[in-house]
Amino acid sequence: MISTTSSPSRGSRLRYAVPAVALSASLVLAACGGGSGSDGDSDGGGTGAPAADVLDKASGVTTVAFWHAMDGTNAEALDKLVAEFNAANTGKIEVKSTYAGKYDDAITKYKAAIQSKSTPDVIQIYDIGTRFMIDAKQTIPMQAFIDRDKLDVSDLQPNITGYYSIDDKLNSMPFNTSMPVLYFNKTLFKKAGLDPENPPQDLAGIRAAAEKLSKKGGGPADYGFGAAIYGWLLEQFIATDGKEYCDQGNGRDGKATKVLFDSPESVEVVKWWQTMVKDGLAANTGRDTKAAQAAFKSGQLAITLESTGQLGGFSKAAKEGGWELGAANYPHIKAGTEGGPIIGGASLWINGANHEDVQKEAAWRFVKFLADKKSQAQWHTGTGYFPISKGALNEPEDVAYRQANPLFDVAVKQLEGTKLSKATQGCLLGVMPQARKASEDGLESALNGTDAQQAMTKAAESLSGQISQYNSSVQ
Amino acid sequence: MSSPVASTVGAEGRRERWIAIGYLLPALIVFGLFIFWPLVKSILLSVQGTDILGNPSGFVGAVNYTRLFSDPDFLQVLWVTFAFTVLTVIPSIAIALLIALLLQGRIRGVRFFRTAFALPFAFSVATASVIFGVLFNPASGVLNGILSHLGIDKVQWLTNPDLALWSVSGATVWMQIGYNLLVLSAGLGALPEDILEAARLDGASGLRLQRSIVMPLLTPQLFFLVVVGTIHSLQSFGQIKILTVGGPEDRTTTLVYSIYEQAFANNNSNYGYASAQAMVLLVIVLIITALQFGVLERKVFYR
Repeated sequence: MISTTSSPSRGSRLRYAVPAVALSASLVLAACGGGSGSDGDSDGGGTGAPAADVLDKASGVTTVAFWHAMDGTNAEALDKLVAEFNAANTGKIEVKSTYAGKYDDAITKYKAAIQSKSTPDVIQIYDIGTRFMIDAKQTIPMQAFIDRDKLDVSDLQPNITGYYSIDDKLNSMPFNTSMPVLYFNKTLFKKAGLDPENPPQDLAGIRAAAEKLSKKGGGPADYGFGAAIYGWLLEQFIATDGKEYCDQGNGRDGKATKVLFDSPESVEVVKWWQTMVKDGLAANTGRDTKAAQAAFKSGQLAITLESTGQLGGFSKAAKEGGWELGAANYPHIKAGTEGGPIIGGASLWINGANHEDVQKEAAWRFVKFLADKKSQAQWHTGTGYFPISKGALNEPEDVAYRQANPLFDVAVKQLEGTKLSKATQGCLLGVMPQARKASEDGLESALNGTDAQQAMTKAAESLSGQISQYNSSVQ
Repeated sequence: MSSPVASTVGAEGRRERWIAIGYLLPALIVFGLFIFWPLVKSILLSVQGTDILGNPSGFVGAVNYTRLFSDPDFLQVLWVTFAFTVLTVIPSIAIALLIALLLQGRIRGVRFFRTAFALPFAFSVATASVIFGVLFNPASGVLNGILSHLGIDKVQWLTNPDLALWSVSGATVWMQIGYNLLVLSAGLGALPEDILEAARLDGASGLRLQRSIVMPLLTPQLFFLVVVGTIHSLQSFGQIKILTVGGPEDRTTTLVYSIYEQAFANNNSNYGYASAQAMVLLVIVLIITALQFGVLERKVFYR
C-alpha cells in the first residue's frame, strides 16, 4: 500500500517554507524600526530664525516641502491655497505639498524623517503631538519669527494660539481648528414636548431631556443621547468645569508627571454616562466616531457631542432627512462653572534642523500666508474649520458663509466667551495620544459595566510608566 | 568537458560546491536581507530601550521582556490571539470542506456555485473588512436590519466586548473560506478514481466512503490548510484595524495588533517593547508549527 514516508516531497517542502513565512512576517517590524541612533543636529543654529533678508539675497527658486494630513475636500481646499501662494511667488518660492497620511501616520513618518535627516520644511501635526514636537527639538518656534519681524499677531484668536503657546511664546502656527459643540435634533425635541430653543447645558439637563426623548420613556428617538467613546470629549468636560487634565498646570508650568482624568469631576462624567447607557437613555456606539455620527444623522439619537467639523455633514443629513438641526455650547458638568472647551485640530511647524536658511524663511512666508485672514476665510468656508484669524470672520465670503450656516455662530460665540486659562489651554503631555487612548479604555470599560472610579483609576495608572519613560528620555 | 577519469574527486567536489553556492546565492541574499537581518535587528531592538523618536536608547537587558510578562494585559493579548486563531482556523476549514463535498455532487450550475463560493478569495482583507464594517453597523447595518424585521433587538456586533471577537472571527472565516475551498476542491478533484472505484465495489458508499476513504486521502490538503491557516490567523491585522481597532476593552487586540500599537499607533514608537512582543510571536509560531508537524503530520496520508 501507500507509505507515509516514501513521498517526502510535499511534506518537506512545506516543512521549510512554513517557518520561513512565519519568520518573515513577524519580523517586518525590525525593518521599519531602528535607525541611525543619533538624533538630528542639535547645533543652536537649527532652531533660530534666519536673517529676514536671506531670501531676497538668494537666487533661483526655493522649494518648500510641506507635509499635511488633510484628505478629501479639506485637501482640495488646501491645494487651492498652495496654488495661490505659488502663483503669487512665481520664480521665488515653490511649495510642494504632500499628503503624509492621517495624523498618526504623518507623525510616524515624521519620526522616520528625523532619523534620516530628511524632514519637510513645514509639517502639519495634530494638537496632541505638540509636546512631542517641542521635545523632538527639530523646529523653529513661531515666536522667533514673530519677534524678529516685530509682527502684530493681535489678529490671531488668543484662545486658539493659547493651546500652542508656553509662557506666551507661540511654538507652532495653528491652522485647522475645530471646537466641540452639542448638536441636537430640534424636530425630535418638539415631538418630545421639549423647547428646541432651550437645549440642555449640563449633565443633569441632558439626562432630563433624554428621559423624554428616549424610546424607553415613550419618546420619539431610540436614545436621547449618544456620543462616541472619544477621549477628546472627556477632555472637554474637564475643561468646561475649569479643571486641568494633567498636573504641572496642564503641563504648562513644567513637564506633566501624571494625568488627572481619574479626578472626582471626570469620574462624575463617566458615572453619568454609564448610568445613561444602563438606563437605556444613551446609546453606546463604541469608539468609532462615524458610528455615533451615523446614528445622529439618521435620527436614532437626539443629542450628540461632536466637533464643529461635523456641522456640514449634519446640516446635509438634516436637510435630506427633513428635520431641523440645532447646536449649542458644549455642556458643563454643572451649569455655571467657569471654564470652556479646548480647541482641537492641528498646527504648522517649521523645521530648522538640517534646513537651509532660505528654506526656513520661505517656509515662514508660506505659514504667514496660511494664517492670513484672507486665506483663513477661504479655508474656513471651504472646510468648516474654525478660522484662527479674527479678521477672517469679517471677510465678505465668510459673512456670507455664516449667513448660510447660522449654527456656526454658536461656535464663534463659544470661543469668544471662553476665558483663557490653563484649563482651557488644554494639557500638554508628551504621551498625550496614548493618554487619550487610555481614557477611552477607561470610559469604554465603565460603559460596559466596570465601576467608574475603578476603570478611570486603572486607565490613569496604566500611563504612569509611559509618562516617566517619556520624561526621562527627553531630559 | 574533462573526463571523469582525468579529474580528481576533490576537484570535482569543490566545483560542485561552488555551483551549489552559486545557485543558492540569490535566495540567500534575499533571505538574508529581508528575514535574517531583520531577525537580528529585532533581537537587538528587543533588549534596548527606545527614545521618543524611536531610536534605540541603550542596552536594557531583559527589561522589555520582564515588563511584558508582568503585564496582565499581555496575558489577555495572548488569550485573544489564541481564541481568534481557533475561531478562524477550524470553522474556515470545516465550512470549506462541507461546501467542497457538497459541490462534488451532481448539482445543476455547480460551476457557478464553485466560483461564487471561492470568490471571497479575490477580496483583499481591507475591502472585505470595510464591507463587513457596513454589515455590522449597529444603526444602519444589514444584519441588524434583518434582526429588526424578525423582531429581535439590535446587536452591538463590534462594540459588545463579549461579541466583538466572534464578529471579527466570523468576517475572517468568510475571507478564508474561498482559499480553503479552492485547495480542498483541487484535492477532491485529484482523488485517484481507482481507489474510490475499489471502495465502491467493496460496498462503501455515502458517509462511510467519505469518512474512511475520502478524508484520509484528503489529509495532506487539510494539514496544509491547518498550518497555513494558523500562521495566517496569528498574523491577521487588517480586519482588526479596520473593524474594531483592537477594542472594545482590548478584547480584539491580538499579538500582531498589539505590536502595531506599541510600535506605530498613537504616536508610540516603543520599538524595543514591540520587538520583544515580536519575539514572543516568533516563538509561538515556531512552537505551534513544530507541534503541528510533530503531532498532526503523523496522521497525514501522503501518497
